Amino acid sequence: MGGFWIVKRDICATVFSQRETVERHFLLTVRVPAHFGNALPGQFVMVRLKGGAAPFLSRPFSIYSVSSRGNDTCLEIFYQVVGEGTDIFSKLAEGDLLSIRGPLGKGFDIPPACKTVVLVAGGIGVAPLSFLAQRCREEMGDVELICYLGAGTAESLAGLERLEKICTAVKISTDDGSRGYRGLVTGLFEKDMDRYAGDTVRIYSCGPRAMLKSLQWLLKDNPAVCQVSLEERMACGFGACLGCAVRIRSNGGGFVRVCTEGPIFDIRDVEFSG
Amino acid sequence: MKVQTGVDIGGLTLKNPVMTSSGTFGYGEEYADYLDINRLGAIVVKGLSLKPKEGNPPPRIMETASGMLNAVGLQNVGVEAFIEKKLPYLRTIDPAVVVNIFGNSVEEYGRIAEILNDANGVDALEVNISCPNVKEGGVAFGSDPLLAGEVTRAVKSASRLPVIVKLTPNVTDITEIARSVEIAGADAVSLINTLTGMSIDIEKRIPHLKNITGGLSGPAIKPVALRMVWETVKAVSIPVIGVGGIMSASDALEFLIAGARAIQIGTAHFIDPSAAAHVVDGIEEYLSEHGLEDIRDLIGTLRT
Ligand SMILES: Cc1cc2nc3c(=O)[nH]c(=O)nc-3n(C[C@H](O)[C@H](O)[C@H](O)COP(=O)(O)OP(=O)(O)OC[C@H]3O[C@@H](n4cnc5c(N)ncnc54)[C@H](O)[C@@H]3O)c2cc1C
Ligand SMILES: Cc1cc2nc3c(=O)[nH]c(=O)nc-3n(C[C@H](O)[C@H](O)[C@H](O)COP(=O)(O)O)c2cc1C
Ligand code: FES
Repeated sequence: MGGFWIVKRDICATVFSQRETVERHFLLTVRVPAHFGNALPGQFVMVRLKGGAAPFLSRPFSIYSVSSRGNDTCLEIFYQVVGEGTDIFSKLAEGDLLSIRGPLGKGFDIPPACKTVVLVAGGIGVAPLSFLAQRCREEMGDVELICYLGAGTAESLAGLERLEKICTAVKISTDDGSRGYRGLVTGLFEKDMDRYAGDTVRIYSCGPRAMLKSLQWLLKDNPAVCQVSLEERMACGFGACLGCAVRIRSNGGGFVRVCTEGPIFDIRDVEFSG
Repeated sequence: MKVQTGVDIGGLTLKNPVMTSSGTFGYGEEYADYLDINRLGAIVVKGLSLKPKEGNPPPRIMETASGMLNAVGLQNVGVEAFIEKKLPYLRTIDPAVVVNIFGNSVEEYGRIAEILNDANGVDALEVNISCPNVKEGGVAFGSDPLLAGEVTRAVKSASRLPVIVKLTPNVTDITEIARSVEIAGADAVSLINTLTGMSIDIEKRIPHLKNITGGLSGPAIKPVALRMVWETVKAVSIPVIGVGGIMSASDALEFLIAGARAIQIGTAHFIDPSAAAHVVDGIEEYLSEHGLEDIRDLIGTLRT
């Protein structure tokens, strides 16, 4: 029995470049096989150092973009340093080798009839949403793309430059008011929210759990469909370990796997309190 | 050189000693795209209970130095749904299928074993008397020699299949439990299950796992597992299956030399989903390089 149909083997990827964009946020570009070109916005990859002992488990990251550069396919990951693993990754340099599994999970649904796409991004939650915005712009021409982007301070606004090129409008909030609206991004979104209703509007969000929870509450009387990208600790990333459970209302209130049934979920379906 | 890698485990014949461990390999199908599953000796599926079980609330896992803690809480589809939805795939593949079971009472263990008698495609049972995560289903049976023997007897008398009893390391003397299940009729023992541990978020001053404690697995536990396997091999005459922290063929070979008849690979699959296939290759290479035609000439050859 040959193994040539084993399509999802972990791949060895070479670091193409890495740079710090805003404080403690790194943009990592790696060379990957061409089939990564089929990745959907919202999908993720599991990353670890090739042959390295630490971090032990792979770390999940959303796909920030895939593109071809000459004969190469390049995958971008945009991450914030929050702990041991991401700290080790922040020292990666050109030529270093990574082991990458993916693309994994389900992507965002984007109905072709959609005319207005609203993104609500908290901090590094911008990563999957920026990829989504890029795809919408490429494939849906003049779709209206509005992004609400929140961060702690003006200096820590991640992913802004790229979004400004793609989006119809980028609306900014900072916790300290050093740029844009002072307060939480959900507060800024709330002011415009009534404009976003109807079949041709879609809302997408990613960010801290508390932010998604308050967005769920804000949208309780708004009929617009909203999908969110969830995070949970993962060991395998492909449905085998059952480590990444999240409670979902439609599943009889039971658990599903973020890595397999998600990471994209309808915001109304998520049980944030359980 | 063509080497003979087949082993017999109390009536269960495997084409090679490499098995996957329960709870780390799903129901097999999750791995279909990740490795050539037909290279493996056996697949042990996620632990099954009489009724489906939803498991523990998240967070369920945490990385630790050279390993991980899990408190999945034995989430599973239940034995009926397993037979209906998961077994058909397992029938189509080559490796032996070992079904891991657990119950809330001695009677329940027997009942699950009975149900599985009628399921075509199951080659052996592995009885989890050791999971430390769930109060009712684990520790009580596995840490008491009398209860462990009682569960073994219940499963043996209900089942037509070879019965492997999986032991917990969270006891004072694992050989005492091993002897007790041997006397009760176990065809083999597998060890170790996870070691109970915990980990704390010092900023929030909360446990990293919602369940507070969880089971430690991965390379961190290998030396402990190896020591327990070696002790158990000396204490019983039924076959011993070595489990715990095996990441590579050389890890697996250590267990075989210590006397394990077969080995199981668990956490390593999360690091590399094709880990078990690499271990099969590595064992074959080792045997050829060392001029050993039959794996049975290696097992239990530790010089002390
Ligand atoms: C589907 C998905 C997509 C993600 N996309 C991105 C992204 O694009 N950019 C980004 O910066 N981060 C992203 N994250 C979060 C990222 O995985 C964590 O920040 C990272 O794992 C932290 O690792 P660490 O070792 O630095 O932190 P530590 O706290 O030291 O990690 C300890 C353990 O907890 C896990 N962990 C810690 N925080 C998280 C978290 N928020 N989510 C899941 N596991 C966590 C780690 O993987 C590790 O196993 C994503 C998470 C998921 C599940
Ligand atoms: C996520 C996870 C789930 C597990 N679930 C089970 C289970 O359902 N039944 C069981 O007998 N052992 C279970 N185990 C224990 C493993 O089968 C194995 O005994 C243990 O992890 C040690 O081996 P390893 O270090 O190679 O992983 C589980 C382990 C992990 C990591
Ligand atoms: S990460 Fe293993 S099941 Fe989701």
